[in-house]
Amino acid sequence: MDGKVKKQKKHQQKHSGPKAEKKKLRKHDKPTEEDDRRRNPKAFAVQSAVRMAKTFHRAQDIKTRKHHIPLVDRMPLEPPPVVIVVVGPPKVGKSTLIRCLIKNFTRQKLGDICGPVTIVSGKKRRLTFVECNNDINTMIDLAKVADLVLMLIDASFGFEMETFEFLNICQVHGFPRVMGVLTHLDSFKNNKTLRKTKKNLKHRFWTEVYQGAKLFYLSGMLYGEYQTQEVKNLGRFISVMKFRPLVWQTSHPYVLVDRLEDLTNPEKVRMDPRCDRTVSLYGYLRGAHLKNKSQLHIPGVGDFQVSDVNFLPDPCPLPDAQKKRALNEKERLLYAPMAGVGGLVYDKDAVYIDLPASHSRQQQEEVRPTTELVQSVIDTHTTLDAKMAASKVSLFTGSATLDPSDLNEQNREPGLQEEHIWDPNSQRERRKVVFPGEEENVKVRAESETMAEGAPPSKIQKLEEVKSCGQSVAELPAFADSNDELEKSEEEDEGEDESEEENEVGRAEDSGHCSEEEEEESADEEVNTDGESEEDEEQGALRWKEDLQQKAAEAFLRQQEAAPNLSKVVYGSVVEAVDSDEEDEELGGLFRVSRPHKSKRLQTNSVDCSRFPPDSSLNWNLEEILDSIRDCFVTGKWEEGQDAATLLKQDDELYGDFEDMETGEVHKSQTAGQQEEEEENGESDEGEEIQVRMEDEEVQKNKRLEKKRRLKERFNAEYDDGDATYFDDLKEEMQKQAELNRAEFEEMDDETRVQYEGFRPGMYVRVEILSLPCEFVANFDPHYPIILGGLGSSEGNIGYLQLRLKKHRWYDRILKTRDPLIFSLGWRRFQTIPLYHIEDHNGRHRLLKYTPQHMHCGASIWGPITPQGSGFLALQSVAGTKAHFRIAATGVVLDLDKSVTIVKKLKLIGYPYKIFKNTSFIKGMFNTVLEVAKFEGASIRTVSGIRGQIKKALSTPPGSYRATFEDRLLMSDIVFLRSWYPVTIPQLYNPVTSLLRSVGQKDNWSGMRTVGQLKHDLGIRNKPNTDSLYKPIARAKRRFNPLHIPKELQKALPFKSKPKFQQPKGKMPRDLRRPCVIREPQEKKVAALLHALGTVHHYKKKKTTTVQHAKHKEFLQQKEKQEEAKLKRQKEAKKKLYRLMGQMDKKKLKSSLKGAPKDD
Amino acid sequence: LCINNNMASNGLSYDGCNFFRQRLVLSTLSGKHVKIKNIRSKDDNPGLRDFEASFVRLLDKVTNGSRIEINQTGTMLFYQPGLLYGGSVEHDCNLQRSIGYYLEALLMLAPFMKTPLKATLRGVTNDPTDPTVDLLKSTALPLMKRFGIDGEGFDLKVVKRGMAPGGGGEVVFTCPVCRTMRPVQLTDPGKIKRIRGVAYSVRVSPQMGNRIVESARGVLNQFLPDIYIYTDHMKGANSGKSPGFGLTLVAETLDGCFLSAEMSSTPQGQGDSVLPEDLGRNCAKLLLQEVYRGGCVDSSNQSLALLLMTLGQQDVSKVLLGPLSPYTIEFLRHIRDFFQVMFKIKVQKPSEDERKGGEKVLMTCVGVGYSNINKTVK
Repeated sequence: MDGKVKKQKKHQQKHSGPKAEKKKLRKHDKPTEEDDRRRNPKAFAVQSAVRMAKTFHRAQDIKTRKHHIPLVDRMPLEPPPVVIVVVGPPKVGKSTLIRCLIKNFTRQKLGDICGPVTIVSGKKRRLTFVECNNDINTMIDLAKVADLVLMLIDASFGFEMETFEFLNICQVHGFPRVMGVLTHLDSFKNNKTLRKTKKNLKHRFWTEVYQGAKLFYLSGMLYGEYQTQEVKNLGRFISVMKFRPLVWQTSHPYVLVDRLEDLTNPEKVRMDPRCDRTVSLYGYLRGAHLKNKSQLHIPGVGDFQVSDVNFLPDPCPLPDAQKKRALNEKERLLYAPMAGVGGLVYDKDAVYIDLPASHSRQQQEEVRPTTELVQSVIDTHTTLDAKMAASKVSLFTGSATLDPSDLNEQNREPGLQEEHIWDPNSQRERRKVVFPGEEENVKVRAESETMAEGAPPSKIQKLEEVKSCGQSVAELPAFADSNDELEKSEEEDEGEDESEEENEVGRAEDSGHCSEEEEEESADEEVNTDGESEEDEEQGALRWKEDLQQKAAEAFLRQQEAAPNLSKVVYGSVVEAVDSDEEDEELGGLFRVSRPHKSKRLQTNSVDCSRFPPDSSLNWNLEEILDSIRDCFVTGKWEEGQDAATLLKQDDELYGDFEDMETGEVHKSQTAGQQEEEEENGESDEGEEIQVRMEDEEVQKNKRLEKKRRLKERFNAEYDDGDATYFDDLKEEMQKQAELNRAEFEEMDDETRVQYEGFRPGMYVRVEILSLPCEFVANFDPHYPIILGGLGSSEGNIGYLQLRLKKHRWYDRILKTRDPLIFSLGWRRFQTIPLYHIEDHNGRHRLLKYTPQHMHCGASIWGPITPQGSGFLALQSVAGTKAHFRIAATGVVLDLDKSVTIVKKLKLIGYPYKIFKNTSFIKGMFNTVLEVAKFEGASIRTVSGIRGQIKKALSTPPGSYRATFEDRLLMSDIVFLRSWYPVTIPQLYNPVTSLLRSVGQKDNWSGMRTVGQLKHDLGIRNKPNTDSLYKPIARAKRRFNPLHIPKELQKALPFKSKPKFQQPKGKMPRDLRRPCVIREPQEKKVAALLHALGTVHHYKKKKTTTVQHAKHKEFLQQKEKQEEAKLKRQKEAKKKLYRLMGQMDKKKLKSSLKGAPKDD
Repeated sequence: LCINNNMASNGLSYDGCNFFRQRLVLSTLSGKHVKIKNIRSKDDNPGLRDFEASFVRLLDKVTNGSRIEINQTGTMLFYQPGLLYGGSVEHDCNLQRSIGYYLEALLMLAPFMKTPLKATLRGVTNDPTDPTVDLLKSTALPLMKRFGIDGEGFDLKVVKRGMAPGGGGEVVFTCPVCRTMRPVQLTDPGKIKRIRGVAYSVRVSPQMGNRIVESARGVLNQFLPDIYIYTDHMKGANSGKSPGFGLTLVAETLDGCFLSAEMSSTPQGQGDSVLPEDLGRNCAKLLLQEVYRGGCVDSSNQSLALLLMTLGQQDVSKVLLGPLSPYTIEFLRHIRDFFQVMFKIKVQKPSEDERKGGEKVLMTCVGVGYSNINKTVK
């Protein structure tokens, strides 16, 4: 503080004593890993080769997993602003956050956030904020152009469907960076619940994005704004964030439109308010290079061709490179024309001043009317140019008003300068546009020309004309459509140029014939008079035969040199064959004599051959001509850098001098020694040639540098390439390519550069599009983003697409084939009719009626050609908001043509009408003989499972055929033939034109309805198939035919099995029938008595038999008892006997066992 | 109905039958439809010639879903390209032009097919107007390899040789499919290290070949000792229907660039016959002429190289060419029409003490980022 900083005691190192000794010792033999290995080799020995291999593999896996496929870095030096999309459900605080961030970066307040807002956030970064509203169309479009997504989540409520829908859209179209922002955290009163909610939300967010995705907390509001410190932190996060390149974005040019002007003639609009509009759209170009006349898709509108592109001065430029940390107030720019901010806006040929913006100093707090720009666009009655011309503006109070012409003068493009050149031939002044680089040589030319003629008076012209003139500069290669511009310039010059060109062409043509001097003369022809050249010709006439060959060759060379700019030859003067201007002779005023134009026919209808006819001017017998290509062969002279001798010498220089470390001897290369000697010599007589020595020093220095560079290269080669992998090589290659890409066109001015590589990303471009539908302008709403998505070659076409599709697991229904579905694919959103199919084991693609529940399936659609591998998502409707998840399916494009045929199952049914043994005649399956002939040999089957084959058609009835089966059919059998029928894919491509709908209706687009919806809406109910209805089952009783056994067989059968023929009791013949007996009364009595006696007798008999039976039963029981007793006794006796026998056996065994050892 | 309203029309229209192949090939690759009007409309024999019709038929064979409409007199052709399919294709080329005419177009299309192309072309293999099959084999294939078109089955095989006018030759061209083109920097051709060649003769004395070789060597030996010219005498069924002979010479540089020249005898019954010695000598001189023109790509393959550069990634490609041939100049204009790509053309004048032939042209462009949309992703 006061200069005297208190000194602290310094550490004193010990130089003697035990501590120093110890330290010395430790320093001397430092225990290294090597030592450890030597001391304890067993610990470091290979225990298991397999384990070692595994650890090695694992290490390598981890290493390679970190690699990404290296891509060529095509990011331009001045990248376009980063697109930050702020999404979230309504009332979550999106606009507030954008407002706070803008205030944080630019110190400006913005009222309503309309359209993209571009700001300069740092020395190397600009940001474009876009707010995404709750419409799914907007969400889809913005997900495709976003670099960073700020996903706002209402913590007090939790996640809403929109959040997950947006994340899924992102997933499909390439994942931009996603950062979650939790708001409404001040609604938690309890700290514990707050912490818990934060944690829960964080983990759920991580599973959706990736583990560790950044989630930002905005704790609460203060005066309707988020806390400054938190916003600042968020801003810091944004401004240092890195972005990964996404495939779709880097391969397509796109513009997020931040300004729109209607250029249609107001008169035309007045006459027909619904006429097609010409519109110019402005924005930063991103992604890839945009070419003029290329195709664009505007999501929500349709496909258009770019009619014109220009680049404009950057409205929000990065500050100049200066060494300072922060931006000053002037450099904190804000550009949001749709929100009415931006002040001065430039156009190709006009400058617009936003008046409220210029008054904003006085009325800063006033919220600007947001729809002003829109209003001005809609209410245009006069052209803006006319308005501009009429209006006068004073920038400061009390200062003079500014005219538009002055403004134009001030704001013209910096590179363009005017120079007035007096043209002697046309006696008028010509204005040449000069670019800074060319200024000098043009001046020289101008001087030489003014020498010839008197200097003309200078005039001041309007800038508009300068522009048209500027396009005719010879050094500029013509633009894609600029062949007519050249003609324009020629017209302007009133044939002057033509005559000049003729001169040149003529010269080039006959240069082969005229002499050398003449050639020289002809260069100054404009100065010389005709007489002089004639004189020369006479002189040269005598000598023309000398060295004819050589002269011809030289003349040819000169012709080659004098050839006009080759790129102008190629691109500039396209010869146009116009038939209309032919001079036709008329015969009697009616007929025309048509004579083929010889030269024209040669051009347009000559032989199409790629051969380059050889040049006959070179005679390959001559030695000097042969000499002219000597060095093309290895036997010729080599360049300095490649010659073997010089290379050897250089190596000698590098490695010639070295010092032997052992002996201390210094070896020097010869050349080095010589040089040193020379230097010494030089010093001795220094007074003489200081100049020479200076040069020498320069040379020496260069040589030293060269030497250093080579040594370094060699070192790098040795140490880097030793373990350079394929990956490293690839990366280096990409790096080199990227450098080349940057360096190639760097020195060119943008005007020229744009023609070669197209408009590069980062430029602020103005894209003009013709014939946009009037609704686009009339129903313009800045809250809905307009995106110009560039299309690659043949991406503007339409055709069949094969997709791999999966119903989204959160979608609650399966999808039906032929139900229209809205796809988001590439830039486009469109409705189409998909067919779902699945591949069978034999490679057949079978049509599915519905998508599988949890499986992938194929889908075929008629849609825009999009490169394979592009992801897509499908929705059933984009209208309104629904409670449940809206994304119906996701998938990827596999193939772009109809290479697979989708088939559906078709069963043809027939009935047998005649059955022989195994052969049957079948009818009803086909209608003609021809149809049958096509199916000859096809396998068929009955419902009961009898297989068969179609043999041959029968003549009657038509369509019937003979078929054989493996068994005999029944007449009741149904025969069917299983076949596959190809299905055609319906050709519906219906772009979602949501941007064309009126304001407030933009999220209500509905396209083709499904059959189900139609029926529901119209109240139609299908009459069900009567066959499908349930009816009471009435089964007829089955009657079986009697079994028929052949007679022979019957004879052989045993009686038991023989059929018994109980003849039905038919009527007996009268003679066999017994006569009826009619009894006398006496006889009746007798019979009755006999009957009564008989009954009594029977009764008695019956009684006795029952008694008898009972007795017998008793007897049997008694007998059984006795028997039982007897058996019991016997059993007992047997038991005893067996026991005895067993005992005896045991004894015997025992005695034998006992006796045995004794025997031994 | 919706299609017409919402897809911008992006067709192109041309007059006359010149550069017929360029237009159709570029249309196929870019997907833009093309309309060619006034084809020989003022001619005594108006309309498309047989060889052009044959070419259109070949194009139809290798594509899938293309629409070709020709009016009654054949003076107008409308071509809406489909997708390139490839696969196995057999084509009997019309005898008015040699197979080279058809093959040049196939070389441009073949890498961008859906399935690898295997084309069997029958007809005239060698005639004086078009680049012969031998020339394309020795120069175009190595050139395409520089662009990353390589792999198994990248081959051009002459099965039978058939001279004009009878034909009867057969050529098999196989090419693998490729997803993207590699950007190239061919700015230094290097020095020529060897010269190879094929002296072919059919239905004439086998001695002809030797006579050609002898005379050609006589000229070229002034520059280089490493010259080897093969003699290729085909007999019997492989010799086609007409007699003839010819020579193809190829100079290879240290950096793998190929320059070539060729000459074949005048077809039987058309003009004066040529002595083999003269033919050998003249062909050698043509090669010297080609060396004089120089560049990394020889004059007949300029357009192929430029096309492959155009179709590359969005990176800078450079190639050094000799003077541009009229065909190439028109091709450049067509590339601008179809792909909106312009080349930066820089003329390199030879310095005083350099003995490396005439002036060269350095062509630079940024590729359009074309990727093969026909190839199936599994």
